[in-house]
Amino acid sequence: MINLNNINSLSSTANLGLNKTNNTASPDSPKTNFSDAVKSAGKYISNVDDVQQTANLSIKDLLTGKSEDITSVVSAMAKADISFKVLVGVRNKLIEAYKQTMNMQV
Amino acid sequence: MQISGTFGPIDIAISGIRAQDENIKLISSNVANAHTTDAGMGQPYRRVEAVFKSDGIGGVELEEAAPDMSDFIRVLKPGHPNADEDGYVEMPNVSLPIEMMNLTMATRAYQANTAVLKRYQRMVESVLELLR
Repeated sequence: MINLNNINSLSSTANLGLNKTNNTASPDSPKTNFSDAVKSAGKYISNVDDVQQTANLSIKDLLTGKSEDITSVVSAMAKADISFKVLVGVRNKLIEAYKQTMNMQV
Repeated sequence: MQISGTFGPIDIAISGIRAQDENIKLISSNVANAHTTDAGMGQPYRRVEAVFKSDGIGGVELEEAAPDMSDFIRVLKPGHPNADEDGYVEMPNVSLPIEMMNLTMATRAYQANTAVLKRYQRMVESVLELLR
């Protein structure tokens, strides 16, 4: 049987990965249900989006010749890559947990 | 010294890459000016050397391009427009073998920083494997 409380620790994993912003979701709070976990994962989407927008902007600046700093593009890309992978990992885990719960025999 | 979260190592490696980039700029300037007899003020080009310092958050940055105050090389070139009354010209204190050595060191340091960046990305990926 899956323990839905485990999902709380998942959201704290996401917090570790993206601890630049958003401390509103408190992973230590004792009672959090599944929808809260989904919501807190949803909050990280905007953070990941910010990082990706920054990466996008730096690529655009490089390609249009506004800046010649390749290293900043690399750094922005590396950060966007990592944050997105964390987000996808957490999302996959959440979906998996949801499916497992839904397929449970009652 | 504080390293900020997951992106700390990335920023630090990038700071190392940037610092070595500046270093290579200075070295190429030295090589390009290895025979510049007039760099203004009636003096030949004086070679510069990169001095690094910690940037306070775990990374590195270029502190200054310190001029090398060693003596200029005097070469007998009587026909040269910058020659003195004895026919000697002061040449820059740039020594190409030393610059090549510094260039190799800078390149290796640059590669080391990119290796750290690459390895760190792989480390994060292998941690994320645990989620699956």
